[in-house]
Amino acid sequence: MTLAPTATPAKPKRRRRRRNLTLTIGIVITVAFIAMAMASFFYLPHNPNLPRIPDRLLPAGSPGYLLGTDALGRDIFSQLMVGARTSLMVGAGGALISLVIGTIAGLSAAAFGRMADETISRGADIMLSIPGMVTALVLAATIGSGALTTILALSAFFTPSFTRVIRSAALSVMQEDFITAARLYDRPTWFILLRHVLPNVAGVMIVQFTLYFAAGILTEAGLSYLGVGVTRPSISWGMMLNEAQQQVGISSPLAMWPGLAIVIVVLGLNLLGDGLRDVLDPKLARRA
Amino acid sequence: MPVYIARKLAFFLLAVLAASIAIFLLIRGAGGNVAAVILGKDATAEAINALAQQYGLDRPLFVQYFDWIGNLLQGDLGRSFRTNEPVTDLVVSRLSISIPLCVSGLILGLVIAIPAGTYSALNSDKPLGAVIALLSQVGIAVPVFWAGILLSLLFGVRLGWLPTGGWTNWDVSFWGAVRSLVLPVISLGLILGASLTRYVRSAVLDVMNQDYVRTARATGMTRMQALLQVGLRNAALPIATVVGLQIAELIGGTVIIETVFSLPGLSRMILANVAAREVIVVQSTVMLIIIFVMFINLIVDLLYGVLDPRVRLAR
Repeated sequence: MTLAPTATPAKPKRRRRRRNLTLTIGIVITVAFIAMAMASFFYLPHNPNLPRIPDRLLPAGSPGYLLGTDALGRDIFSQLMVGARTSLMVGAGGALISLVIGTIAGLSAAAFGRMADETISRGADIMLSIPGMVTALVLAATIGSGALTTILALSAFFTPSFTRVIRSAALSVMQEDFITAARLYDRPTWFILLRHVLPNVAGVMIVQFTLYFAAGILTEAGLSYLGVGVTRPSISWGMMLNEAQQQVGISSPLAMWPGLAIVIVVLGLNLLGDGLRDVLDPKLARRA
Repeated sequence: MPVYIARKLAFFLLAVLAASIAIFLLIRGAGGNVAAVILGKDATAEAINALAQQYGLDRPLFVQYFDWIGNLLQGDLGRSFRTNEPVTDLVVSRLSISIPLCVSGLILGLVIAIPAGTYSALNSDKPLGAVIALLSQVGIAVPVFWAGILLSLLFGVRLGWLPTGGWTNWDVSFWGAVRSLVLPVISLGLILGASLTRYVRSAVLDVMNQDYVRTARATGMTRMQALLQVGLRNAALPIATVVGLQIAELIGGTVIIETVFSLPGLSRMILANVAAREVIVVQSTVMLIIIFVMFINLIVDLLYGVLDPRVRLAR
């Protein structure tokens, strides 16, 4: 019985420490990833697309080649650096477009009455039940593959989730007294949305962006692996895995590096998203 | 209940209609002159016109749409431009691979996620609970094709227990077919299981914090008893929704995993036809998949109504 009072306060402290750890790891990985992508614009150890047949299939740690070379003698580390650039651009691009459209649609659904809400919400439901990978394939078939197509496909795929999440966050903000007060002051709806609702759903928006940034990187890797995403001279981690499997068979250590890169970056972004959610949305944090 | 069913059914039909228009416009609107694309750069104008006429591609788009959707409703999915094979035949021959793959992957995912998620929700303070949460967090970050590559590296190349890829048909050797499906199913199931574990965990955590569980605990039930007798039925609802939504993801995963293991399934067929610009084949097959996913979601919605009277009585 005497133990209980001391045990109780210890618990939240430990949880807070774990939360900070999650956020810290997430921030470190994400910053390293963005730094790697940015650095690739200024410095690359080798030209990632230039074959050097005498140097083919060197193991990691060979002089001049940090992670070795692929079947055509191209430097793996340089390819990973350029691949980070693609992941960053496509993942962030897809999530950003979805964020913008999803915010407009979500806020409109929450603020402009039953008809608008029903139309937007049911539209989002319909879009959610169309498999994203299949949509992306169709887009690649019709407008051709490439980074831009992939961003478009991701936006079509992610926007309904953004719409739903932002709609429900906005709906609960709309119940607050300060919204009623603003209405009494006869503020126009768009003003209330921008001045009062938007800042209060910003936390949800940031978390959603981070998590779908990660999902975008995974989807892009998948599409490029299938050969309908990014193609050379652009480089993608998914494309590298595809080439590794085709050129030298899967027993090659070449299949390790791009896969590890994807896992680490996606994990980092997910941890960042979870950590941010705990900080920005105390209601959810209490539950988990 | 009849009103609830009717409303869900009406929404299902509306959704199928909207999706069919979207897919049709996406493929036809963005695809340019279909006949010219199929015949390639060197085709003469006469040849292009002849092909367009043969397949009715020169008619107004909305006529073509109603033609396509009308035939689809009668079970006629159209024919391939190049081989003139009916799309129905193309699809049916692939289903004996894709359906077992998809369904077993889903079952494996659930078999992993329900116990693992429940355990880690009830024991979040114990080491194993934390390990499960960590594994699921990592599993979500693993691309399904990389999981496939690693598994085939370990069990196919190193240990030599299972084929690294390729397909033995059911009628050639039943066990051969099963053996070629084992690694793809495990890859799909593990990755799906990782993300489902998270949802199960948070659904169970949510339910355990509810008043009715506290009341049940106050009557002397253990946490496990309270969960089984009161909580599970309530936790089943959000889990069912997530499973319904994951079907769309699962199909995406199937597309990729069929490529990793060179399985000649439905999604490989779509991929090949995308490359060959076989618009009718792609359009009809994609539509079939969408109808299938929407149908699953309809079933989930109806189950919802059966499981929870609050849902069907609302509004």
